[in-house]
Amino acid sequence: MPRWAMVIDLDKCTGCQSCTVACRMENNVPFAGQEATDAGRAMYWNQVFTHIEGEYPDVKATIIPRPCFHCDNPPCVKVCPVGATYVEEENNLVLQRYERCIGCRYCAVACPYGVRYFNWYEPEWPASTESYQNPSVPLRPKGVIEKCTYCVHRLPEPVPACVQACSSGARYFGDLDDPESEVTELARGPRAIRLLEDLGTEPRCIYLKEG
Amino acid sequence: MAEHHWGWLVAIYLFLGGMGAGSFLMAAAVELTGMRYRQKYCPTALVGAGVSGPLILIGTVLLIFDLGAGLREPWRILLMFTNLQSVMTWGIWILSLFLPIAFIYGILEVMHVYPQILAWARKRLAFLPETLPYRRIKRVLAIVGGVLAIGTAIYTGVLLSVIQAVPLWNTPVLPALFLVSAVSTGMGLTFDLAATLAVPEVHRHYRHMPLIHMLFIGLEIGLLALLLISALMQGGVAAESAKLILLGKSSVVFWVLVMGFGMFYPLMVHVYAFARKSHGYLSGVLSGAGIVIAGLFVRYLIVAAAIPVAL
Repeated sequence: MPRWAMVIDLDKCTGCQSCTVACRMENNVPFAGQEATDAGRAMYWNQVFTHIEGEYPDVKATIIPRPCFHCDNPPCVKVCPVGATYVEEENNLVLQRYERCIGCRYCAVACPYGVRYFNWYEPEWPASTESYQNPSVPLRPKGVIEKCTYCVHRLPEPVPACVQACSSGARYFGDLDDPESEVTELARGPRAIRLLEDLGTEPRCIYLKEG
Repeated sequence: MAEHHWGWLVAIYLFLGGMGAGSFLMAAAVELTGMRYRQKYCPTALVGAGVSGPLILIGTVLLIFDLGAGLREPWRILLMFTNLQSVMTWGIWILSLFLPIAFIYGILEVMHVYPQILAWARKRLAFLPETLPYRRIKRVLAIVGGVLAIGTAIYTGVLLSVIQAVPLWNTPVLPALFLVSAVSTGMGLTFDLAATLAVPEVHRHYRHMPLIHMLFIGLEIGLLALLLISALMQGGVAAESAKLILLGKSSVVFWVLVMGFGMFYPLMVHVYAFARKSHGYLSGVLSGAGIVIAGLFVRYLIVAAAIPVAL
């Protein structure tokens, strides 16, 4: 079975947020209102962070797009009391069974990358976007956790929506177990880094650091 | 403090679970050491056994309210027994074993103190025995329940301490703190508060209690200091979490309510009680209330100060 992985080249990322928008439309991610956003409860299967270092005039901004990392050793799967979060056999992805999820949010607490979002409210979409909902991705009810699936519904075609939408070609997707694949080659390269590696999660989202 | 994934309901549950376990341990301790029988009426045994089950049940019900699907599709709760890798699953198992034992023990203790209950029941159900071998049954339940009570108190800390994503929690100090705090709040509730309210001169029957209680409060202060100082020394988000507790918006709650009213004041009361072999009625009640309130706020502050590792 393949070990799907994503490589994101931070040198190429412009922070345009195409991935965020494409992901939201592809995966029917609910739009949070102002109130929810203020409470830190907005939902993003893919989020773009800006990390700023230094002080004016010596400022350096690093833009970090963040999907789910589909760790080889996922802490979320370990803590989920009901087994709603699991490693799917066919594609080796960390997925969520919404019909099993009890909504305890232990996985969201345990994920060091903050990729898990809880449906605090009944999911809502602006009326104008409802007709664009993607029928191949199930809608999630209030009270369950959801997160990025690496667009599992598109497999075996290995093109997640964020990869397809990336305007600067910063994202690569492929099988880490395939020695010939582009991601394997990039992941072996000198610029490849994994976030919070010391936690032993073995994330399958690899960044190519700026340089 | 801002609540992120977990907030008040979880903190109250952790607190009630701890205090319920601690109360049971107090009742079990006075039963097994025979201290319960040194006087005609032992409020620590009665209150400890009586409130333990209900406190934990209330906490568990609050937790179900906190679950996203707990009320909508409650049968999913049964799935919580399934993933034995998860500390939450361990907790569900421990609670399911401990709750019935705590309730049975509580009912037996009440029946033991008030024999008229059994006599009244016997009038309607003639097959009931005249009396029960209370001491023998309670001894067994106190041992089994005591082990499960310790398990309950420790698991509430392990639940948080296994989370590597939150450096403030990710230390074995946390389960130790929660266990000590569980015993301390149990003592505060069943001895300082209940015993003082019911039998003001009760301390005469338990000479060593002030010393034991002093040790536990001292240990609690030490573990809390260890948790926060090591977080500060660790730097990064662990230090940020600790600063949130020590210097943040809720720092008044920490310094005044937790450290002042909930720890140093009761410590002074018990030092005084140890020296003088007694403490006053009001100081007993206040120190009990302080310890219980501190137990709640310590858990809330620790839950709310969870800052995840930075990417």
